[in-house]
Amino acid sequence: MNLFSIAFKNLARNRFRVVLTILGVAVPVVTFVLLRTVIWAWELGAEVAAKDRVVTRHKVTFIMTLPSRYVNELQQHAKELGVKQSTYAVWFGAKDPAHDKEFFATLGVDPKTYLDVYTEMSVTPQEKQAWLQNRKGALVGDVLARKLGWKVGDKVTLQTPFYPDTPNWEFAIEGIYQATAKSVDRSSFFFHYDYMNESVHALQRDQVGWIVSRVVDPSRAAEVGVRIDKMFEQQETQTLSQDEGAFQASFLASFSALLKTLNVISIVILVIMSLILGNTIAMGVRERTNEYGVLRAVGFLPKHLVIFVLGESVLLAGFGGALGLLLAYPFVEQGLGRFIEENMGNYFPYFRVTPETAIAAFGASLVVGVLAAAIPAYRVSKLRVVEALRRVA
Amino acid sequence: MIKLSGIDKTYYRGDEAVKVLDQLTLDIPAGSFEALMGPSGSGKSTLLNLIAGLDRPSGGSIEIAGQRIDQLSESQLAQWRADNVGFIFQSYNLLPVLTAVENVELPLLLTTVPARERRRRAETALRIVGLSERMHHYPRQLSGGQEQRVAIARAIVNDPKLLVCDEPTGDLDRHSADEVLRLLETLNKEMHKTIVMVTHDPVAAERAGIVRRLEKGALA
Repeated sequence: MNLFSIAFKNLARNRFRVVLTILGVAVPVVTFVLLRTVIWAWELGAEVAAKDRVVTRHKVTFIMTLPSRYVNELQQHAKELGVKQSTYAVWFGAKDPAHDKEFFATLGVDPKTYLDVYTEMSVTPQEKQAWLQNRKGALVGDVLARKLGWKVGDKVTLQTPFYPDTPNWEFAIEGIYQATAKSVDRSSFFFHYDYMNESVHALQRDQVGWIVSRVVDPSRAAEVGVRIDKMFEQQETQTLSQDEGAFQASFLASFSALLKTLNVISIVILVIMSLILGNTIAMGVRERTNEYGVLRAVGFLPKHLVIFVLGESVLLAGFGGALGLLLAYPFVEQGLGRFIEENMGNYFPYFRVTPETAIAAFGASLVVGVLAAAIPAYRVSKLRVVEALRRVA
Repeated sequence: MIKLSGIDKTYYRGDEAVKVLDQLTLDIPAGSFEALMGPSGSGKSTLLNLIAGLDRPSGGSIEIAGQRIDQLSESQLAQWRADNVGFIFQSYNLLPVLTAVENVELPLLLTTVPARERRRRAETALRIVGLSERMHHYPRQLSGGQEQRVAIARAIVNDPKLLVCDEPTGDLDRHSADEVLRLLETLNKEMHKTIVMVTHDPVAAERAGIVRRLEKGALA
């Protein structure tokens, strides 16, 4: 027997209250884990972005397009700019009428260069070759293919409000890609830019959404961006070039208020957790004032009583935190995570509980355990022995 | 053993001062068994608390076994209590989550005695009070008399010189009260414990060697 084991035994006094308190901690921990996972998954793109890729877009906003000749100009001056290879993409905004409610990214790209720039997209050489050779060929992510039941060889018809002159766009699935990095959306649909470009209205022709360049020296990516923008400075459309991390961050910036709100909510949840726990501990301390008086009488010091109170609170918080993780982990890994990756892959290509999030949640619950017990522990330490014993009588 | 000289004790209720003990002087020799009696509010529990080092006098000095305990710091006083005083309360005050032997072992947690030796001493103390069969019972599984005997075992496990008892038979039936009083007599006579007992019960007081009466904060 020691002080810690007594704190442990104290938990068994009112089992119903203890169970409710542990649940009262576990539920906020589950919510905390979910919120932190959302924030983490959202910021993941910027964190794991390739350091050697520079994204060039319209200077005003990324929803405005660039002339496709910029790609050629950039490739012509690649050496002096410090660029190894460039590719481009345009947002197509299409849907499969057979799966009307399913949203997935559809991008017109240059098939000859796109996979060389995005090396974290993995596809078999045979499927890659087939995609290159078929002007109507499409390359789709494995998550999207599984979700919509597509396989190589399937014919797919898409419709897009962006290019109303062509009501139906026919494609053949030539390949299914997988990802070798967490940042890659496995629910995208890639096709030949040229197929789209030759079919659209003249006013929309020869426009690309953005240009992506792999640079020779990743440590000088920012300089490369500046040189690219300088090259187009005197032309009719100015550009803004950023390394991929900064590009992702500027995209995230438009959701910064939401992310800040999620951060605040996760802190509010911790406060609620500490109030639940603090209330239980304070009740326990009030009920046991006489016992603390007896312990002080037989020689226990205020610090020993503080150990009892803190120990009990941290144990409760620890059990609650562990239970919360036990509930959150399978919930995300087996259910919610898969659902989000399949349905919101553009925003959350990888939605899983990371060890860092789990450690942060458990650590936060222990810290809350200490904070919740701070006031009751302080009051116990200031207890006068005679007054405490008098409450016995 | 216990020397109290010119003890004053004043409590404050808001701005009002209430003098509970007034210039009280008392000498209790080592090895004696004394009962303190008196009406409610006469100051007997306050006097017991001062002797036990649970409270401090407003004036005067308290010397126990040659040591001025009124001059000790809070932590020194706590250590002194742990080493020298055993407490027996009216309502036993056992920790309900601990078994009898664990309750008895509790004061030894403050010492450097190894765990195995702690347990051995606690078992010995329980044997002395006749509860070796109930060592692993929780307080709720014991009768009032048995609970009080566990409390006595807890009080003697440190082998203190002084036992202070605050209405030790107040919650017990006559039979159980007799058992507890007999045990206290044994501890006094055979183990030479000095015992100071506050009681309202004249039958209990008769078992003590000396009976002192307090009235309005002074010895009558």
